[in-house]
This record gives sequence, structure tokens and C-alpha cells, in this order.
Amino acid sequence: MSNVNAICRRKHAKFFMRFLDLLPSRLASHDSTRVTIAFFAVCGLDILNSLDTIQPATVETIIDWLYRYQVVSKEGEVECSGFQGSSTINTSVPNENITKYKWGHLAMTYTAIATLVTLGDDLKRLNRKAIIKGVAAVQRDDGSFSASVEGNEYDMRFVYCAAAICAMLNDWGTVNKEKMAEYILKSIRYDYGVSQHFEMEAHGGTTFCAIAALQLSGQLDKLSPETIEGMKRWLIFRQIDGFQGRPNKPVDTCYSFWIGASLKILNAFHLTDYEENRSYILSTQNTTVGGFSKWPDSMTDPFHTYFGLCGLSFVNEPGILEIMPSLNISMRAYKKLKELQGHWAPQEPEECSNCSIIDIE
Amino acid sequence: MSDNSSDEELAPDWIPYRQRSDWADVTPIEQDDGENPVVVISYSEKFKDVYDYFRAILASSEKSTRALELTRDALRLNAANYTVWQYRRDILKALGCNLQQELQYIDDVISDNPKNYQVWHHRRVIVEWLNDPSDELRLTESVLSMDSKNYHAWQHRQWAIKTFNLYDNELEYVDRLISEDVRNNSAWNQRFFVLKHFGFTPEVIQREIQYAVNRIRLIKNNESVWNFLGGILHDGGASISQHEEVLAFCEELYNNNVRSPYLIAFLIDLCQEKCLREENAESREALGRRVAELCDGMIREHDVIRKKYWQYVVDSFQLKLNRLKANNDGERNDGTS
Ligand SMILES: [Zn+2]
Repeated sequence: MSNVNAICRRKHAKFFMRFLDLLPSRLASHDSTRVTIAFFAVCGLDILNSLDTIQPATVETIIDWLYRYQVVSKEGEVECSGFQGSSTINTSVPNENITKYKWGHLAMTYTAIATLVTLGDDLKRLNRKAIIKGVAAVQRDDGSFSASVEGNEYDMRFVYCAAAICAMLNDWGTVNKEKMAEYILKSIRYDYGVSQHFEMEAHGGTTFCAIAALQLSGQLDKLSPETIEGMKRWLIFRQIDGFQGRPNKPVDTCYSFWIGASLKILNAFHLTDYEENRSYILSTQNTTVGGFSKWPDSMTDPFHTYFGLCGLSFVNEPGILEIMPSLNISMRAYKKLKELQGHWAPQEPEECSNCSIIDIE
Repeated sequence: MSDNSSDEELAPDWIPYRQRSDWADVTPIEQDDGENPVVVISYSEKFKDVYDYFRAILASSEKSTRALELTRDALRLNAANYTVWQYRRDILKALGCNLQQELQYIDDVISDNPKNYQVWHHRRVIVEWLNDPSDELRLTESVLSMDSKNYHAWQHRQWAIKTFNLYDNELEYVDRLISEDVRNNSAWNQRFFVLKHFGFTPEVIQREIQYAVNRIRLIKNNESVWNFLGGILHDGGASISQHEEVLAFCEELYNNNVRSPYLIAFLIDLCQEKCLREENAESREALGRRVAELCDGMIREHDVIRKKYWQYVVDSFQLKLNRLKANNDGERNDGTS
């Protein structure tokens, strides 16, 4: 069911609503990352301009639920502040042994805050200082970031999450931005794509992570003009009809976002073929029950549905809101965030002396 | 969204922990998701049972053989739960378990979940503990034989090679993968990684140019090898236009009516670079026209999907060229040279 040349907005909104509600047991393998599913559903509804599909009481419910996942480390204990991705190890009676395993996870912290902002929360319950300490605590000597204080990988994905968190909270604390940039520059490959870690193969998703992190930290100027042109070439060459993530790999809906957003940040997205891109994305839409998949006639999921809609936003699809490419939230949510940042600044001037609110032209 | 978890993977004769006499001393602990949770997973009975007991051993900090077995069940239900993996490692450490056996177990998990981040991470930690990478090349090779572009396997392989200095036979392996599929971009990247480790001597650069050229002759329209060739010339320290034999090779293909966009893009880069270095005004004009012609061919016929991009390339190039001319004229008028 994929040859319809129009976007089924109401069906996609319903699709997201189902994921906000109840998931079948076969999705238990996503039990540790429920916050990211909430992010795709809420932010997806937002860019569909359908946030009002969520009842006001439910908005409050979601906000309360997210805050329950906030972890704030106690003074003198291992710094692991941030958000958990789920409540799998949460118990009604607090237990010290379990608490030792409750760590914030950068991807969950980033998506939780982005979801809160999108829902219009004032972030007053957010312990911003602790969260930024949690980010700084997982930075490694090579400049990269681990997902959590223990037990997880470190690579370009978490560099992005760290940068997005700091940019959203407008506070870099003791995060070493220069080291972070060094790590990114060392991961640019001979073909000018960026890899997940140093000399790995260049990849569309991690190229986005790298370029967005540089922009969010105000360090895009660390890329030489030659490198920027090389990156544009590598990114532009990913277009087949939709976009692929690596040379000689099949096209996949989500890369309309990863590659598209990277090109947006480099001011080169207008050089792509909008019509081909749009047609591909629409060919992966399920017109019966809503949702997008990575390929035509495949299984839909919230991830590809959200990124498919983002891809359509970049080609100015009517009825879809504009996206702030590097933070990966709607421009509307981003403006709300800027307002909040404006309120924080005067009370805590020492926090913001070195960082300005990101401006997108 | 994959849904490869599941109940079905637990053996049919599986008995809930609640009914096991050897677990009777443990009180299961329910998950608390507070009032009105969202994105609720309707856990199966098995999932709930196993995780109720997992929370219980986590709470009592029990590190035992049966707890180790329990983590296995928990991971079978959700291999992405990094807390369970972490606790499993804490048990392994506390009990001083046989880690070779653990590697065996990980082999099985990886073959069921070759794209799961957590199990690859677990593998890395165990190999670090053992300080023994002797099985890692075999393991990654076997995963790559199923999917030669599996990013996790390549990452683990590079990590093992870098950490334990296992570069020696890697070029042979990569060569084999490239012969099997000359479009395998991961293999080309790995080739570059190994070469860079040993160093780009002039001999290596010559050899690799030949290697790439031979493979382009087989299949012209293959971005991976063109990117590799560009990288070799660039990282070898020479600008691409200094290798006349490469230019001659590209011209030969072009004259034989090859119109792969990758070839033409390469030629455009070569001609631009040459043009901007050219001292002689006439030759410079000629090279400039060539660039414009090649871009025009891309726009009209050979790479229409990127026509706006090639227009941008030719426009930026003209700007550069004009600026260069203006500078030269300025210098002439100043009487300096
Ligand atoms: Zn995808």
C-alpha cells in the first residue's frame, strides 16, 4: 500500500498515539528504551502539527512519567545524573543495591528533555546542574562520551547526545568542547563522511551526529573549507532517489533525515533533488494503518515514521512543521526552548558567560 | 523496530521462577512504573516472572550461579538491557567464572542478535579481562560472512586489531572480501585503515593506485573504489593532479565513452585542481572550459539527480577562477610578480 502520492496525516497521528499508549509484548526488546519511543511519538505528533491529539491531562501524565526517570546523584557518590530509559529496575520500596545500577543514559536524557520541551513543560523540575555534571562525567580522555557511567559503549552517537543536552540546557559545565571537536575531526574519513569511531567506515547517521555536535557547540569553523566541500560531496552523493547511509548500501527512509539534516546545517540541502526524495519517502508510507518503514512494503515503526516526516519537512511538505536540524525538534519547540533559556540566563549569569543560545539562520 | 525478543525462545519445558523450589527463598519484586505510565509494554507472564526475580537478586545483591543463569533468561527476553549485562559481568567477576565459557555463550547470543550493541560491548569487556583476542578475528569473520557490512562486527574487529596489534594478515582478508564483492565499502574502508597503519610510502601508494585502477576497470560505476583512490592520493600527501598516470587513466576511460558519474566527478576534481595551479593563461582557460563542460554533462545527462549540485560546483569554481585572475591582474598592474 504505498503508491499514494499524499501524506496520510491523520493515520500517522493515530499510529503515534498507539505507541504512546500500549505496546504488544513482542516489542519487549525495546523495554530499556521506552523514552525514545515517547520521543518519536510526541515529536512526530508535533511536526504533524497534531500535538493537540494528546489530551491535556495526558500531556501532564507523560511529563510526570518522564520526570520519574530523572536520576540525580547524591553529593560524594558516583556522578550518574541524567534520565533512565525505562523503569525496569525501579521498585516501589527504594533499595540501595538497586540504586547503584540506576544511571542516566545520554540518549535517554537527550530524548527525555527534547520530549519535555516539545510538550511545553517549563523544565522547572529538571535538575540542570546535576544533568550537566552527569554529561561531563561520561566524557572520555579521547573527547568522546560513553552512554552511561558504566556498562555502555562510547562513540559518536553519544557525542551528539552530549552536545544536544548541553545546548538545550545552555550550559556546558566542565564538558571539554575542544576535546570533543578533536574526537570528531579524527573521525572524518578519507571520503569525507564521518565514522562512528575514528577509523571506522563513514556513515550517514554518525556524520549527522558529528556535524550537529560541532554546530551545537559553536565549532563548525573547525572544519576547513576543503573539508566542508568534501562533506557536501559525500552527503549529496548519498542520494539515489531517497538517501542511503553508506556508499553501495540500499536507500532507507531515515537517511532522508540524517543526510538531509547534515546538509541543512551545511547550507547545502537545496542542492538535492526534492521530488525524488519526497517520492521515495512516500513510497514507504503505510496508507492503511499509518506509519513509515525503511523500505517500501516493509514493517513500519515509530523511528522511521518520525524520520520520514522529518525528511518531508525538509522538502517543505505542506502541513508538516519546520525542523530545527541539529537538535532534531520542531522549530516551534525550539522557540519555546529559547524562551526558557532566556528565563534562566539572568538568574545564573555565571552559567552562561561562555555560551550563547544557538541561532539558526 | 525489530521484535526478535521473546518468549518462544525460552525452552518449552521452561518453569516459571515462581514455581521453582530452588528459588523459594527469594521474594520477587515487582516493577514500579508509578501511576499512569505511558509507552507501556504489555509484558508476557514469562517476562514479568523473570524480571521480578531479576529485581530481587539485584536488590539482595546476590551473585551466584543461579543468578547468573537468571541473567541469561533475562537477556534472552531482552538482549538490549544493559543493566542486566552489567550485573552479569559483576557476577562473573565475583564468582571468578570461566570466561572462555562466557565467550562461547556470547558467540551464541551474537549469532542470534548480530546487530545488538550491548552484546558486542560485553564481548569487548570479556576479551579485555582475558587479555586474549585469539578468537576475535574468527568471530567477526563468521558474522561478516553472513552480512559483510555489519557495522558492529567491523567495529569490534578494528578494536581487536588496534588493541592487540593484529594487523598482519588483515590485508589478505580484506583482499578476499573485495574480490567477493568489489562494491563492499566496509572492506575498502578496512583496507585504508590497514594501509594507514603501515604507512603510505611511495611504493604503497603506487601499488594501491594500481590495485584501485584494476578494480575500476572491472566495474566503473563503483563509488567505493573511486573514494578509496581519492583517499590514497590525498593521504599520500600528493594532490590528486600530481599523479599524471591517474589523470591519464581517467582520460582513457572517458575517451572510451565511460560516463560513470564517479569518473566524471573525479575528472572534474582533477581538472579544477590543475587549472587553479596552472601558470599559463591559455592552458588555464582550456582547463577551465573543460571543468565547465564536464559539469554541464553531469547536469544534462550523467548525474541529473545532482544537477543543482553540479551547477553549484561549476559556479563556485568560476568564482575562484575569477578571483585568481583578478589577483594576477592586480599583481601585474602593481609591477610585482
Ligand atoms: Zn533506517
